[in-house]
Amino acid sequence: MNEKPHTVKSYEDQLKKLNNDLVEMGANCETALGNAMKAISTNDHNLADDVINSDMVIDNFESQIENEVVNLIALRQPMAVDLRETVAALKMSSDLERIGDLAKNIAKRTKLINTHLPNNLIEAMSRICILVQKQLKIVLDSYLSRSSDVAQTVWESDEQVDDLTNKCMEEVISLIKSNMENIEYGSHLLFVTKNLERIGDHTTNIAEQVFYLVTGDYLEGERPKGSDSELTK
Amino acid sequence: MNKIEAKNVDVYYGAKQALFDINMDIEANKVTALIGPSGCGKSTFLRCLNRMNDVIDICKVSGVVKINDYDINQKDTDVVRLREKVGMIFQKPNPFPKTIYENISYGPEIHGIAQSKSEMDNIVEESLRKAALWEEVKDRIHEPGTGLSGGQQQRLCIARTISIKPEVILMDEPCSALDPIATAQIEELIDELRKEHTIIIVTHSMSQAARVSQNTGFFHLGKLIEVGSTDKIFKNPTQQQTQDYITGRFG
Ligand SMILES: Nc1ncnc2c1ncn2[C@@H]1O[C@H](COP(=O)(O)OP(=O)(O)O)[C@@H](O)[C@H]1O
Ligand SMILES: [Mg+2]
Repeated sequence: MNEKPHTVKSYEDQLKKLNNDLVEMGANCETALGNAMKAISTNDHNLADDVINSDMVIDNFESQIENEVVNLIALRQPMAVDLRETVAALKMSSDLERIGDLAKNIAKRTKLINTHLPNNLIEAMSRICILVQKQLKIVLDSYLSRSSDVAQTVWESDEQVDDLTNKCMEEVISLIKSNMENIEYGSHLLFVTKNLERIGDHTTNIAEQVFYLVTGDYLEGERPKGSDSELTK
Repeated sequence: MNKIEAKNVDVYYGAKQALFDINMDIEANKVTALIGPSGCGKSTFLRCLNRMNDVIDICKVSGVVKINDYDINQKDTDVVRLREKVGMIFQKPNPFPKTIYENISYGPEIHGIAQSKSEMDNIVEESLRKAALWEEVKDRIHEPGTGLSGGQQQRLCIARTISIKPEVILMDEPCSALDPIATAQIEELIDELRKEHTIIIVTHSMSQAARVSQNTGFFHLGKLIEVGSTDKIFKNPTQQQTQDYITGRFG
């Protein structure tokens, strides 16, 4: 439905602020993810520190959004699309906060790795990351444009992330098998890979919320899953 | 099961049309809320359900209103009997200038419901209990009903209405003159009453409609724009006009 502005302007302003805060929080997450990936690929510990320190900003957004949502519910009693906006914002902010944490974890692991990683692993991780970044960007755009169709495409393509995650994990494991001295950074890389996959999951959750807030319906059925591997379960 | 079915109901006040082709089914033992901006025809529609519009000279009603599958707009309908079956509560509590006891015994008396004094005592007590007023007034039921607080007076009017066991209770903004606590007591009561009665409530408070009703109808400019489960209307209405109204984007 096409929304006219609210009769009460301050209510309209509060809903707009909630929307803007969420968009800004999402942009911070995109940056954190991009920088975390760059830091681990280039073994850049300074950039990793940046990611770790800026996670606080994302955390603050989450508590601020939670505050705004509680105030809206207590003081405005939002209904219909406004209610869905409010509830979706709360859930989306908690997914974004987790995305921030996972990016920060990648940065922390970067600082524990003191060697340049083999190119094939950097490439395998980058492939996941590029896809996840793309999904995150699209889902945030779908929120801005209130497009349930676009949100649904993100939701449906989560399985590609799973497939890339499996491939990457196999490569890390064969690297460890080839030389047990690789086990230390190898195990960090398993976690990094898993983190990227989970960022994909949170992105999919956000897609579900966008779909709900636009349509009032829930995306039906089992979320599509990639080829079954013990590793991504 | 539908207790009431309105079909193609039009209402005119003189030359001015107030309701346009209203079609609405009302489920038994549910609370149905009617919402919409003032002047949209909620009270007019409510009065169609017990032919209270008959008393307004210039008012002309057409269409079918069936209660228990019987068309109440037929010429030979016994209107007194109809209003016994379909009671009404108004915005301003209107107890008779009599004692609490007499306020309630009046109806059963003229309808010849009680055979003895003790039977009448029972009806009075039971009605006051069902209206959640008994504990507050049991020691002063022979004092004037007009001496009660606004909320108590409204519950007295509800007790008076249910004393003759109506099947349907119509309420026209029953809480708009009450404070929040008295309002909560009436709302709790409404939820109790629907076990035995079908309730239709007009309210200008959207949150009250959301709290008390299972179904909600939204009226605008004499038309029923949307009717459905309260849940659906307030979470995800189908019509843009409904959404604009309940989210405060109207006009
Ligand atoms: N007794 C009456 N005489 C003339 N017009 C009336 C009368 N009662 C209501 N109306 C008109 O009918 C329309 C609907 O009124 P009403 O049913 O009272 O609306 P609501 O209860 O939704 O505020 C309004 O335009 C109102 O002015
Ligand atoms: Mg009215």
